[in-house]
Amino acid sequence: MGLWLSRLVGLFGEKEARILVLGLDNAGKTTILYRLQVGEVVSTIPTIGFNVETVTYKNIKFQVWDLGGQTSIRPYWRCYYPNTQAIIYVVDSSDTERISVSAGEFHAILDEDELKDALILVYANKQDLPGALDDASVAEGLGLPKIKSRDWAIFKTSAIKGEGLFEGLDWLSSMLKTRRR
Amino acid sequence: MSDSKYFSTTKKGEIHEYKEDLRAVDRSKRKDSVKKVIAAMTVGKDVSMLFPDVVNCMQTDDLELKKLVYLYLINYAKTQPDLAIMGVNTFVKDSQDPNPLIRALAVRTMGCIRVDKITEYLCDPLQRCLKDDDPYVRKTAAVCVAKLFDINPELVEDRGFLDTLKDLLADSNPMVVANAVAALAEIHETSGRDVFQITSQSLFKLLRALNECTEWGQVFILDSLATYTAKDAKDAEAIIERVTPRLQHANCAVVLSAVKVILKQMELVDDDVLKKTLHKKMAPPLVTLLSAEPEIQYVALRNIHLVVSKFPQILVHEVKVFFCKYNDPIYVKMEKLEIMIQLASDKNIDQVLLEFKEYATEVDVDFVRKAVRAIGRCAVSLERAAERCINVLLELIQTKLNYVVQEAIIVIKDIFRRYPNRYESIIATLCENLESLDEPEAKASMIWIIGEYAERIENADELLETFLESFPEETSLVQLQLVTATVKLFLKKPTERPQQMIQLVLTYATQETDNPDLRDRAFVYWRLLSTDPEAAKEVVLAEKPVIADVGSGMEPQLLATLLQNLSSLASVYHKPPETFVSRTRLAVQRAEDLPNPEDHFGDESGTAISSADAAIADSAAAAGAPAAAASTTALSPQPDLLGDLLDLGGGDTSNGNVHQGSHDLASSLGGLSMGGTGGSNASQQYNSPQAQPAADDFFGFGGGSGSSARTPPAPQAPPLPVILPADKGKGLTVSGRVTRQNGQIVYKIALANGTQAPMDGFMVQFNKNAFGLSPANQNIPVGSVAPGQTATADLVLNQAAGMLNAAAGTTPTLQVAIRNNQQGVLYMSDSVPASALFTEGGNMDPSTFPPTWKGLPDASEASQHLQGVTPGNIEAIKPRLVAKNVFLMAARGSPSGAIWRPTARAQGVSELKLPHDANFEGLIGLRPQ
Repeated sequence: MGLWLSRLVGLFGEKEARILVLGLDNAGKTTILYRLQVGEVVSTIPTIGFNVETVTYKNIKFQVWDLGGQTSIRPYWRCYYPNTQAIIYVVDSSDTERISVSAGEFHAILDEDELKDALILVYANKQDLPGALDDASVAEGLGLPKIKSRDWAIFKTSAIKGEGLFEGLDWLSSMLKTRRR
Repeated sequence: MSDSKYFSTTKKGEIHEYKEDLRAVDRSKRKDSVKKVIAAMTVGKDVSMLFPDVVNCMQTDDLELKKLVYLYLINYAKTQPDLAIMGVNTFVKDSQDPNPLIRALAVRTMGCIRVDKITEYLCDPLQRCLKDDDPYVRKTAAVCVAKLFDINPELVEDRGFLDTLKDLLADSNPMVVANAVAALAEIHETSGRDVFQITSQSLFKLLRALNECTEWGQVFILDSLATYTAKDAKDAEAIIERVTPRLQHANCAVVLSAVKVILKQMELVDDDVLKKTLHKKMAPPLVTLLSAEPEIQYVALRNIHLVVSKFPQILVHEVKVFFCKYNDPIYVKMEKLEIMIQLASDKNIDQVLLEFKEYATEVDVDFVRKAVRAIGRCAVSLERAAERCINVLLELIQTKLNYVVQEAIIVIKDIFRRYPNRYESIIATLCENLESLDEPEAKASMIWIIGEYAERIENADELLETFLESFPEETSLVQLQLVTATVKLFLKKPTERPQQMIQLVLTYATQETDNPDLRDRAFVYWRLLSTDPEAAKEVVLAEKPVIADVGSGMEPQLLATLLQNLSSLASVYHKPPETFVSRTRLAVQRAEDLPNPEDHFGDESGTAISSADAAIADSAAAAGAPAAAASTTALSPQPDLLGDLLDLGGGDTSNGNVHQGSHDLASSLGGLSMGGTGGSNASQQYNSPQAQPAADDFFGFGGGSGSSARTPPAPQAPPLPVILPADKGKGLTVSGRVTRQNGQIVYKIALANGTQAPMDGFMVQFNKNAFGLSPANQNIPVGSVAPGQTATADLVLNQAAGMLNAAAGTTPTLQVAIRNNQQGVLYMSDSVPASALFTEGGNMDPSTFPPTWKGLPDASEASQHLQGVTPGNIEAIKPRLVAKNVFLMAARGSPSGAIWRPTARAQGVSELKLPHDANFEGLIGLRPQ
């Protein structure tokens, strides 16, 4: 009986997905990760290295890798590219000055061979801050509309308030499910 | 696809397999793979290319997997220093884990990762862990500080970890205290600086922790207690009382460390009864050490050897436990034998001799030899037992065993030297065994005996002749003895046969041999015999001094060092630690990257104030502090010269006395000398040993004026400052000072011989220096310095352009090399006080003084306060200044008192002209040209 049940779960139940959370330093990656995982805002320090947590959402087990965004660490992102199903690219919408830097990194990621099949989910984060760009402007800044060959989506989020994050995951999970089938 | 695909063939094989598994989603598969990687690592395969993948497994709640990954990290972080940074966040997280084991694991691993790039990120976690609630984490973090210090000492200081460590000494948990002690002691040793000083408060805490912590913690605490110098006998007794119970401990290291502490603290105890009980108490634990495995026994025996060399009374009743067992390994037997010799006394000699005799019949040749030698040494050291020893030796000779006989003859020679004209009756027995001698040392001994007692041996000439037959083939030791013995024989029995023999020997030794020693000796004898046979008799047959037992042959100084290092490798090797470990690496580095001048001076004034405070009364401090402060501000363009000129002096006890009587003139002149501990400047820069006694005071006024204040005419010379302590000079202590004497610059030098052998052939040379100084004569005219003696010499110094080191600017440092025939070349650093350079011709015409003074750069002016000078006593000071070649130019009134202008002219290639400007409260000015 137990064996039977577990087989059922295996057939219909949880899928696993490996997801990278990338973005410039101070974009809010770690906050987003723990907001998704424990549902609350934790105080963070700059991530020198990485965090990895498992988030189960809509029957999909997301293995979420949050990598540090410091310039010194960005070169090592590539170590994490293999077997990645999706990228969550986090942009600090209030940091208008560095949006071009962020775009540069973003396109470098898109060009990676190992990530050519990965879904792209962009979070225009920190919408709670005054002067934050809206999703359209961020998309424009990153040059998203020009991308035709890949699946992407952008969401307005605020990790502090918890807005928009799960909408993004909804999109991810539905995309992943369609792909699997 | 580009052509690169043709090269990407690495996707196969083990490594690739590991990589796949490490990236697997399945947790158990990952763990398995990490285990495989670790296994490959331990057998020596290079798996460093898996670094990123292994690090990715680091964040897990599986403790076993975490430990494995950490193990991998420790091993490979150095090969992948850039990627190691990816692990930092995990360490930071783990150091905040609710599980104390994980916190400790994280901080311990961090300490083991010696990658510069990540050390700074590890400071915050370390800081947190040092203040952790859990003692296990704190104790781990304490050790981590020492590790971090090894990687980056500056970081440890900047983050205040040393202070945190010191706070941990007062921790409630004894293990934390022990580890803090271990860490501080380690840092103290690596840095070579005084970071760990036990105070009376911390002493109490350490003693309290001692009872409760683990055995190795106890060892750390005990070792640090052995470096503590107790305030007085009472203090020492208190320590001993607390440490004594440790002697009962099952761990040998604890016992030995406890013995070390007790021996050290006992130096201060004068209560003989207490000392005796302590000696009694130390014996059983030491004896118990011998019941362990042979390897431990050996270590114990080496240590016991040192202890009984200094304190034979401790084990004098226990000689029986050092008797060798038949199944002892040879290295243990040899050590036991050595200790038996040390412990042999009139009371136990019979037993001991019986043992030795037994050993002399064993099979191991080396052991037998040593046993025979042991008998000889007992005979030499114990007069009353000598007879019995000789009888035993004779019995042994009867065995006719070749090596026994030879050893016996060697020791009997020593016995003859020790007790002349007492046992010569046995010579006949010795002569029966001539044929069996085949070793040089035994032959030489026998030949010596024959020569020495030629008149009592009827057929001495025949015996010698047998040896002479093989003269050309013998070793030089035997040849030398043969030459001497033949000469002795000839002088004692000037008959025909010896005459022929001597002809033969001397002809051969002077013409055929290549050995200069032999040839020279033969020539000397030949001359002696041909010029005056009577004189030859007096020389060759002179009374010989009686020898004494040299004991273990260890110099007292070495023995003291080794006893300080009891229970360490040094005490096993019987060598001082610095001969086989180089821990000074960091200290040297430090000396090289000197702080910039401002910082340097800041430090200097700080030390000046504190040392003055400590050493001297308040007036001195008052004089010293402003002077040092002035030197920081006014003199930065010429930091080296002026800093040192001003800093020289003070701290010296003779000066200290002066300052005590603070209001008379002498004290004010003494005040000139204030400004810091003598020579500290030089010692910091060159790491020279010249630390304590002041080199010279500012203008050289201070010398012995404590007495001259009352009896002005005859200032005594203060003791010369030590510029090379004995431990650096291989037993030679060198003291010296550059002074001015009768219009010449003279280097007064004192050489103290702390070794057991005479020293001779002293020569001196200087490195190029700022003043072009060099000794007029390289030989130091002291001849030979006997052990324990001190020889002094005044070396006249010349100034020559060739010795001028332009690069040195006006650095007063003088690098000195001294060599002799025993120690070789020794290097040391001294400094030249300005007073030695002031010439007699410094008096200037008052009219030319102002333009000259103004012609010198203002920036190079140095000034110093004089205390207690009043307008009324200028005239009284004048002659004393003139005696030092400082001339008073003018004195005029000013609102604050009066301006007083002395001048001095310094002799030197750089032609220092030093006019001074001083008013009564302050200011003596120096302007080097």
